Amino acid sequence: MANVVIYSTPTCGYCKMAKTYFNEHNIAYIEKDVAVDEQARDEMIAKTNQMGVPVILINDQVVIGFDRGKLASLLGIA
Amino acid sequence: MENVFDLIIVGSGAGGLSAALYAGRYRMRVVVFGDHFGGYTAVAGPIGNYPGYVEVDGFDLMMTMKEQAEALGTIIKDEKVVGVTQNDGCFSVTTEDGKEYSAGSIIFAPGTERRQLGLPNEKELTSKGVHYCATCDGPAYSGKIVAMIGGGDSSVKGVNLVAEYAKKTYLITRSKELRAEPINFERMQKLVDEGRVEIVLENQVVEIVGTNKLEKIVLAQPLHGSQDLVLDGVFIEIGSRPRSELARSLGVTLDEKGHILAGTTMETNVPGVFAAGDIVSGTFKQSITAAAQGAVAATAAYQYHKMHGNRCGTRPESPV
Repeated sequence: MANVVIYSTPTCGYCKMAKTYFNEHNIAYIEKDVAVDEQARDEMIAKTNQMGVPVILINDQVVIGFDRGKLASLLGIA
Repeated sequence: MENVFDLIIVGSGAGGLSAALYAGRYRMRVVVFGDHFGGYTAVAGPIGNYPGYVEVDGFDLMMTMKEQAEALGTIIKDEKVVGVTQNDGCFSVTTEDGKEYSAGSIIFAPGTERRQLGLPNEKELTSKGVHYCATCDGPAYSGKIVAMIGGGDSSVKGVNLVAEYAKKTYLITRSKELRAEPINFERMQKLVDEGRVEIVLENQVVEIVGTNKLEKIVLAQPLHGSQDLVLDGVFIEIGSRPRSELARSLGVTLDEKGHILAGTTMETNVPGVFAAGDIVSGTFKQSITAAAQGAVAATAAYQYHKMHGNRCGTRPESPV
């Protein structure tokens, strides 16, 4: 099973879309709220150089934004 | 005939999904296409002016609309329509993955897309300090210094959200005054009084500076003695442009800015073609108005369908 991490903020609609997508496909994920978790924010910037959420890690692959096609490909969803 | 419907709706925002709900209740066979599920409503964050809710999250509101439409048999596809044609009253759309769908009527509710400043470096630094969605990325700037560019209601609402997190927020507009709902303006004024927000009128960004991340912006006029303003993030809210290329290709009449000209029943100049939401000329761009227009457009499409039938040929099990 893929190790999925989503960096998000509480008001981010695209983050909610991504989480809904994971739930619909029974994909377990870890959520890190970069609005309150400074360590997670630093980690997100260090790994991806991004400040726009969602940033999603599928194992070591980075997905910027809610890119349904890329997520499906990396997660093996038809 | 598998991909033949009574109604195709382009756009899955408040206008499109409200139209889908109504058309579903009219027992029309409906398919909705949307490459940005929920439109701007889904990324609006908390919404306090949608009747029936004291406050509702925009994404949750759109998920409920989707659920309502799907319960009536509407098919909703997260796909982008890239082409549309008409053959003797039968409309056909092609999606990005090359599939084709047809219907006897069509509602355009694709919304708009955000305008950019058009400055060098803007694209390179997008999501690296330059942002277009304050509700999405604003909270990531907890304890930082940011600026909002634009003087409309969306900018003021954005400032109110970002300032909950940021140490200092500038609102910069080239206008002489702000155009915001009084309730949003009052909320921002409180933040100004607390020193957390600073309003900068009649000024504009002329340069975005940074390598791999935003370092500063350069203003046309000095602010506190300098044109340079060092920032961690900048949010751009300077309006939007209509996504009307598909409607234009069908011969739908647009206004000078590219919005669709629609009548009181949301009909366009092309029979069988209707419009709803932010794409419509002269519209007050709100979720509630988009939803209302979607209801009207679906009703007009139903009347059109009853009068003309489905020019693509109706499937035998169609209840209409």
